[in-house]
Amino acid sequence: MASGANKPVMLVGVDDSEHSVYALKWTLDNFFVPFSSNHPYKLIIVHARPTVTMAVGFAGPGVAEALPYVEADLKRQVTKVLDKMKEICSKKSVQDVVVEVHEGDGRNVLCDAVDKHHASILVVGSHGYGTIKRAVLGSVSDYCAHHAHCSVMIVKKPKTKQ
Amino acid sequence: MDPYADLKTPPTTAATVSDVPGGVGAEESTVVGMVMQQPVADMGARTPEEEIRKMKVMVALDESDGSFYALRWTLDHLFRGRTLEENDRLGRVTVVHVQQPFQQYVFPAGPGGSVRPCSHLRCTYTYAAFYASSAVVESVKKAQEENATFILSRALQMCREKLVKAESLIMNGDPKDMLCQATEQMHMDLLVVGSRGLGMIKRAFLGSVSDYCAHHAKCPILIVKPPKEVTNK
Repeated sequence: MASGANKPVMLVGVDDSEHSVYALKWTLDNFFVPFSSNHPYKLIIVHARPTVTMAVGFAGPGVAEALPYVEADLKRQVTKVLDKMKEICSKKSVQDVVVEVHEGDGRNVLCDAVDKHHASILVVGSHGYGTIKRAVLGSVSDYCAHHAHCSVMIVKKPKTKQ
Repeated sequence: MDPYADLKTPPTTAATVSDVPGGVGAEESTVVGMVMQQPVADMGARTPEEEIRKMKVMVALDESDGSFYALRWTLDHLFRGRTLEENDRLGRVTVVHVQQPFQQYVFPAGPGGSVRPCSHLRCTYTYAAFYASSAVVESVKKAQEENATFILSRALQMCREKLVKAESLIMNGDPKDMLCQATEQMHMDLLVVGSRGLGMIKRAFLGSVSDYCAHHAKCPILIVKPPKEVTNK
């Protein structure tokens, strides 16, 4: 069940929100930084990229022309996210990080990635939605907590106290 | 030098929150309702230049195997040092068990739930709820305390075997609320729960307490799933 380097795999699921950034930083601080170079886990960052059809909310005669722009914009967003993650890792001097991008819905992408890499832990951030938002927007962290085949760590960004 | 000497020192502060007596006979430092006197962690401003922070992990236990598996998993994966000192630098573990308060009344199940001793009356209170006598309450409380002590001593034993310093805590009340409150009050860095507890319904992927804590706990939460059974896919 171990990966090639014989280390257990820790998968971190990220999107483009501040919550993911916080989750990644927290994970690095607690599981990688204290161990200097001898990290106990192999870190894999997985980003779920929305497909073009998901991003385009309208249908009509103008769609065909709009698609390449949407595609380019999505690509730019993804690159931005990946660069940010790589920057965070290098700031904490964590090398040897694998970053993956998959198309599709975050829930499925993360659960499939867990199976593919035989991860021991999946780390996700949490938007902290309430019950109604959760029902309407859906919650990736909730889905993963229920359905992933490995232990799940949900990292929450603390709300600033008044 | 006795490597476990530190575990035998009594706690320095204790503010009893529950009614469990302090002297439960455990040699480890048993903390009952202790409020940790740590400075409030400023979550947003952590930088790696600070000294290596100890991670404070709280592991929630009940009688189920799932929670003990969660504890074992935590000790194996989070505290991989080879000595007590190495693990101590990584952090501390607090094992917590939440007792549910005993219902003061009992609803007899089935016919003839409470047959009066004088049989000539021949009336059976099939649907009457009666208040449990104080003797019953006492004995149930005692059984609960023994149960809690047994669970926690098993847990502390496991921690000792894996060379991790641990403290234990017993609380009374609804597990969901108590766990969320405890992590907040004690400024825990991580809460570890099993995925299914006593309600081992096959179709439920996540137990109610774990689910509630995943939504409501203010600190990061780790849900440990039991290993896949061989019969499943």
